[in-house]
Amino acid sequence: MNSLLIILGKILSFFSKKTNLGGGSTWPGHIALIINNNFIQNIFEKSQTEIILIAGTNGKTTTSKMIRTILERNNRTVFQNKSGANLLNGIASSLIIKANFYGKVKKDFAIFEVDENTLPLILKIIKPGYIVLLNLFRDQLDRYGEIDYIVQNWNTALKTLDAKTTLILNADDPAIAFLNKDTKAKVKYFGLNDVRVSTRKPQYSADSVFCPNCHSKLNFRMIFFSHLGDWKCSNCNLKRPRLDIGSSKTYPLSGIYNRYNTNAAFLTCKTIGIDNKNINEGLAHFKPAFGRQELINFNGKKIQICLAKNPTSFNETLRTINHLHGKNLLIIINDHIPDGTDVSWIWDINIEKQIKDEHNVTISGTRAYDMGLRIKYGKFSPNLSVEPDLSKAILNALEKISPDETLYILPTYSAMLEVRKILTGREIL
Amino acid sequence: MIDRNLTIGWLYPELMGTYGDRGNIITLRRRCKWRNIDFRTKVLDIGFEPKEMLECDLLFMGGAQDRQQKIVAEDLKDKVGTFSQIIRDEIPGLYICGAYQFLGKYYKEADGTVIPGLGIIDIYTENPNTDRMIGDIAIIPRIDTLSDFIFVGFENHGGRTTLGKNVKPFGNVLSGFGNNGNDKTEGAIYKNSICTYLHGPVLPKNPELADYLIKTALEKKYKKTVNLEHLDDTLEKTARTVIAQRLGVKV
Repeated sequence: MNSLLIILGKILSFFSKKTNLGGGSTWPGHIALIINNNFIQNIFEKSQTEIILIAGTNGKTTTSKMIRTILERNNRTVFQNKSGANLLNGIASSLIIKANFYGKVKKDFAIFEVDENTLPLILKIIKPGYIVLLNLFRDQLDRYGEIDYIVQNWNTALKTLDAKTTLILNADDPAIAFLNKDTKAKVKYFGLNDVRVSTRKPQYSADSVFCPNCHSKLNFRMIFFSHLGDWKCSNCNLKRPRLDIGSSKTYPLSGIYNRYNTNAAFLTCKTIGIDNKNINEGLAHFKPAFGRQELINFNGKKIQICLAKNPTSFNETLRTINHLHGKNLLIIINDHIPDGTDVSWIWDINIEKQIKDEHNVTISGTRAYDMGLRIKYGKFSPNLSVEPDLSKAILNALEKISPDETLYILPTYSAMLEVRKILTGREIL
Repeated sequence: MIDRNLTIGWLYPELMGTYGDRGNIITLRRRCKWRNIDFRTKVLDIGFEPKEMLECDLLFMGGAQDRQQKIVAEDLKDKVGTFSQIIRDEIPGLYICGAYQFLGKYYKEADGTVIPGLGIIDIYTENPNTDRMIGDIAIIPRIDTLSDFIFVGFENHGGRTTLGKNVKPFGNVLSGFGNNGNDKTEGAIYKNSICTYLHGPVLPKNPELADYLIKTALEKKYKKTVNLEHLDDTLEKTARTVIAQRLGVKV
């Protein structure tokens, strides 16, 4: 049965790639799952592949790529689902591409990024060796629902695991750390320990500042950003678990959030059995995933694309750009389904602190005017222009920068795909 | 008028503020500042004293997740009297989504659990556990001085609200769901309190509503007619027009 589906699927993805019908990344898997509900588990029953799942609001793609780089540098074979194709159909599609005609995958590891709502679904089907849970921030409430709801569903799903699975949890995110509550899986913790990059006060729009156990307000000894830090509940005494890793020797990308991604990848690979030296060597060869601090040279000018899809990733990206003394920003806010159709979140970005008079800000996207208002109502008055047409906006923004400067582009997800197409496809302009 | 000042009471900013609702406070603050009106924010968080509410010229409360709403309900228990009095005394306020439901008689959850409201306004909300009502919305406000405008926002609620016979809706729905998806009403107005499901947040793209709240609060406080200085709202209006046009609503 599966052999047939795989052949059919391979043909479908070949043609959809050729004809550019919807990218072809998810619908072969979609069809396979409709015909055989057990398509995914059947393949893994036959294969020796160890599964690593990565979930959380921010950092999935970067963390996956780091783990992959380290594993491959250490002679393990790896395959992944396509970034963004993180529902069951995306996973099934990746299997169609990688499986042979006998329905078997001959890779040592499968790394799957999974969407918040997909994690419980996939755990009903397969029991992974490792599950990396990065963080939970407000993101696309219209699509994923509220954080409490996600945590509840994850808890129920993790209950079904046994000691064959290791959970790699972010100890600094109270809601994630407390996911050890009802599970028999082994648990390891990553976090941050560097007091020099911490503050004491939670930022506005911090999500989990209440105790996940008794709902009292938490105290923080250190906060790294949003609600991530060294926390403790003075009511029930629940506190941040002891860290298995709190710092790494090499951080391949800038930004505090990327330290978390690095430590998560480090701990995962260490748990798999790779030694520190080889992990560091792997990290040294890491190249950013597309749109995640990706550098592009365009008409002799430097551009860096930094995906910014929710208040936390936006704040941290702006903070990182300011550290690098970046002055020129192109912000692109779309409200298509992959971005979330509700853009209220832009009001939770800390524009007041991060965008100053000296910034040049160009704004584009389907919600360009909403973002324009957000900047207008900020504390400072940067040089602001709003241009909904993306190609024009890119030209306008590039005109303002000199050859030694960098244009930082902060797009939402679908905007990131559009901007890359324009910049690397050389289609327009 | 010189030396004007306004104090806004911001109820539970962390607990009741899921959907970027603080954008409303930011909008009020900037629009006051641009007119040299001294704008003070008084945070009314868990454990505040009822009398602190009496120092406020304007109140604001946003929406929340269910768990947060329960914590707030508990905290408000001993403040219901003062809160009701303030609203009856026509202190203006803006209550979004969860806060709106709160002011009503009750909220019935999908599983049948009934959470009593503050009972200040004659409305009730029930969650039938069908699809949430999500998307852009356009309304005509039922406030005389604002009825020439169209307001837009983004709604996202599971609860369906029914208004009592004598309760005036905040607006008539042109496109979107509104209170319950049936009767074309959106929100409620009681005295000077405005209740609405409009997130977005509501005030940045509807600056006339922000100014209405500021003007009403100032007039109430200084007991005389206030004419606010004109501001350039081109960007605000363009942002609104973009959404209205998408909904096929003529501005």
